[in-house]
Amino acid sequence: MKVKQSLKHELIKLLKKTRAWLGPILVFILIMVAYPLTVELTNQSLADAFFPVLFISCLMVMMLATEGIFLEDYEDGSLEHLLITGGSIYQSVFIKILVHWCFIGVPVSIFGALFNIGVGNTVNSSILLLPSLLVSTYIFLILFCFGNSLSLTKGSVLGTLITMPLLLPMLVILGKLTTAIMFNINYFGFLILLFGILSIIMFIFPAIISKIIKTHLE
Amino acid sequence: MLREILIIVIKKFIHQFASPKTYFYQVNRIYPWLLYISLAIYLTAIVWGLFFTPKDFVQGNSYRIIYFHVPASFIAQSLYAAMAISSLVYLVWKVKLAAYLSRSIAPVGATITFIALVSGSIWGIPTWGTWWEWDARITSTLILFIMYLGLISLHNSFNNFDKADKLFAYLSIIGFVQIPIIKKSVDWWSSLHQPASITLTEKPAIDAVMLYPLFMAIIGFSGLIACLVILSSKVQIYKREKTKNWIKNYV
Amino acid sequence: MQNSLLIKADNLSYKINESKLFSGISFALNNNEALHIIGSNGSGKSTLIRILGGISEPSKGNIIKKEDLTISYLGHKNALKSYLSVRDNLDLLDLMDNKQIDNLLAEFDLTNKLDVTLGNLSFGQQKKIALLRIFINEADLILLDEPFVGLDIEMCEILSDHLNKKVEEGSGLIFTSHIASGIRANNFNLD
Repeated sequence: MKVKQSLKHELIKLLKKTRAWLGPILVFILIMVAYPLTVELTNQSLADAFFPVLFISCLMVMMLATEGIFLEDYEDGSLEHLLITGGSIYQSVFIKILVHWCFIGVPVSIFGALFNIGVGNTVNSSILLLPSLLVSTYIFLILFCFGNSLSLTKGSVLGTLITMPLLLPMLVILGKLTTAIMFNINYFGFLILLFGILSIIMFIFPAIISKIIKTHLE
Repeated sequence: MLREILIIVIKKFIHQFASPKTYFYQVNRIYPWLLYISLAIYLTAIVWGLFFTPKDFVQGNSYRIIYFHVPASFIAQSLYAAMAISSLVYLVWKVKLAAYLSRSIAPVGATITFIALVSGSIWGIPTWGTWWEWDARITSTLILFIMYLGLISLHNSFNNFDKADKLFAYLSIIGFVQIPIIKKSVDWWSSLHQPASITLTEKPAIDAVMLYPLFMAIIGFSGLIACLVILSSKVQIYKREKTKNWIKNYV
Repeated sequence: MQNSLLIKADNLSYKINESKLFSGISFALNNNEALHIIGSNGSGKSTLIRILGGISEPSKGNIIKKEDLTISYLGHKNALKSYLSVRDNLDLLDLMDNKQIDNLLAEFDLTNKLDVTLGNLSFGQQKKIALLRIFINEADLILLDEPFVGLDIEMCEILSDHLNKKVEEGSGLIFTSHIASGIRANNFNLD
């Protein structure tokens, strides 16, 4: 199947299920709004403590976004059919992750950067934050998809449990990134590191996920 | 002509060794030797380390837990590496024995990582004053522990063994990325943990008197853990091949 | 079209968790031929179809396929999205712009159901939509797993006629069914 066709298919499938992409975005906004309300701190502490909350809620929202991402295609036989009639599961997985990122990851990053200004940080820090959020939401999405594909038929709790260990190094990097943003040191180094990780993961993981799905279909 | 014969002989050798039956009988033969020799080495190392080495300048007598903690954490990481290599062998060459081995390493690895974490925190009390600290090496070892548990639960949740083996193999290979992270984490992030005392490239930072019992302890401990892995793999073979005749005759 | 070998099975055997499902299965299929796989429940008919389709690997034996073999498949599941309308589903399969689609829809009595959500149609109607892609596709080999389940008698006859025509036109057909079908095929017993 050609790439454009595949893209169109995944777009149709995702757009028709508004709950699937609107839900995580709304959850994210809810958490962001709840943060200043529930945490009674001074303005400065609010701004300082914002970054961890931002990254953790990005993480949780990406987890929500990948719930059942492959299960639906698996259960109604589309994956099986695709495999037998000679289609490429790699392409389907890659485009599915890309489309999910465009509709969930990008809005979440933009809202995160806006809320960053809202809690009192400088606009400069938001501008620095946006690319790193975009890249890290993509990385989270890929990792959660990996865990989801491993536990395709057994529910998503197992999958999340499995992926958590792989995510923690990412969180460590993001922690270092926030210090870099706050004190404006070595920021581009971390950004390049994130881009490097993304460029490796973006093309390798869909191949691994497609092998795992083929194993499930056996 | 000679090359073809060589290839056939090698293939036959690999296939013969890769049969669970051959492995089972060979392993039964060497198991008592391995057990007693490594027990002897480890006990000598412990006695030497506990009674015959001098006190550390800074830490006093409490450093002696190193003879327990360092082998445990070293083994925990090497076991994961062994499991990842075994899984790779399974995926590439489809040797079923490799899958049995990886599956049997997982619980042993989990226990050893737990022991490493606990002994590490016991060591932490007299030396650092705290029994837990969120620094790089401890956290990454905790991640290793969770990874082992995840692997075991993944394998147990599937009824179809072939599927379970393959998925286990994929996950263990992907998770291999954390081993370099653990090893290098103390170099990348300055933390409470001391930098690696024994590296491949530099002179050891630890005194020679304490080094020799440490090496002996590591070797002895590895032998004992290998015995555990062998026992575990025998259990796996019992479970998986129970329909075969040779198991029925053996039991 | 000349007679060429489409797919050949050579001494296939399949095990689940070390217990054998079937063994020693061998057959060959040329184009213009149809094969009807018969077996009792649980004898491995669906598994055999999946092995032929390339999803599962046999424990022993191998499959020899023609080069660039295109396969058209319908299994127990329809591979359609139940939350999309019929028209959107056919769009996903790129069937809407096909010339034959209107005739076929009229034949199956489904022309006025194009904007209905697929999940609201009955089981048999959903199966008819799923069968559309078998009819329109120009594949070398057609694999069907229990295609007659859920269809009324009229539809069964239509299906048999279409499949017979496809076999005459040069495709190969392998299918499993408990119901006596009107398809001219050789029988292959799995028991």
